[in-house]
Amino acid sequence: MHELGLARNIAAIVREHAKGRAVREVRVAIGPLACVERPALEFCWELVIENSDLADVRLGFVGAEGDTFVVREMEFMEEA
Amino acid sequence: MCGTCGCADPNNEVSMTDTATGQKVMLNGGHDHGHHHEHDHDHDHPHDDHHHGHEILHAHGPGGEIIPLEVAVLSKNDKFAARNRGWFEGRGVVALNLVSSPGSGKTTLLEATIRALTGKIGISVIEGDQMTANDAERIKAAGARAIQINTGAGCHLEADMVAEAARALDPAPGSILMIENVGNLVCPAMFDLGEHMKIAVISTTEGEDKPIKYPHMFRAVDLVVINKMDLAEHVDFDEAVCRANIAEVNPKAEVLCLSAKTGAGMDAWCSKLQEIVATGQA
Repeated sequence: MHELGLARNIAAIVREHAKGRAVREVRVAIGPLACVERPALEFCWELVIENSDLADVRLGFVGAEGDTFVVREMEFMEEA
Repeated sequence: MCGTCGCADPNNEVSMTDTATGQKVMLNGGHDHGHHHEHDHDHDHPHDDHHHGHEILHAHGPGGEIIPLEVAVLSKNDKFAARNRGWFEGRGVVALNLVSSPGSGKTTLLEATIRALTGKIGISVIEGDQMTANDAERIKAAGARAIQINTGAGCHLEADMVAEAARALDPAPGSILMIENVGNLVCPAMFDLGEHMKIAVISTTEGEDKPIKYPHMFRAVDLVVINKMDLAEHVDFDEAVCRANIAEVNPKAEVLCLSAKTGAGMDAWCSKLQEIVATGQA
């Protein structure tokens, strides 16, 4: 139920660190005890980025332990 | 405004009602839209011109550069929570975050607690509900200062909402600030409000297995209050099974059984609160 707010937070973190550079993918680490539903977060991510400056950014997942819930890394588009 | 998620809908905004003045103000906290202005990004890069002009292998993979971030997704809330915690400690106020499902009797417990501790410990209350100021009005009638936060569509309180309400309440040193979270055993577990401790309230009518059905919440609390003990025999509530279930997910949690309605067990609860105030202000 709170995944929409979480997706919004992830988008804000991407914007803050990308500083305008085009991002290909943001990867989040979610532990089994983080209370975060992956499919729900994926669904909300699509809603949040739709028609925005992050419209093409993919959301990726990496394994984690415990209640970890962090934005682990971000991959930029190859620069021309 | 944000047109994709509906959070700009006036019906969904978060408001705060002060029962002393009846004044209702809108809180702009809680949602960060990132305020992305509309840029017309031209994604049609001329790929024919896409050449690096040199033959050196790039260190980066098939895509572009990868940068590590390690930023907690809830870091914004966590920062507000840390600020709240400092604010409470600086004032010598003990903030308690009460979590439960709807209808467990949190508000009734608070009413009874306020009456029982009159003249002993000052209590002020932040009430969180999606709609209505009913609970804050009940607290005010019981004799305490109360502020109602309406989260609209939101399913939990966040630290910045608590910061604004706490400033408005202006709790006295040595007092308890009770934060009655939105009735929900899922989402409030994730959001630190800067409280001294989380306390779960469950009632006998909910059955003994709430703790194992919602383990995240019960793992996050230090104390579990089992309310409506006066109804236990009528609903075949097995206290021992419930205690075992709590211990299964959180062996360290303390458990108190009481009935806010009849007053049974209220003495132990009030002593516990006095103990928390005495030890929690160091």
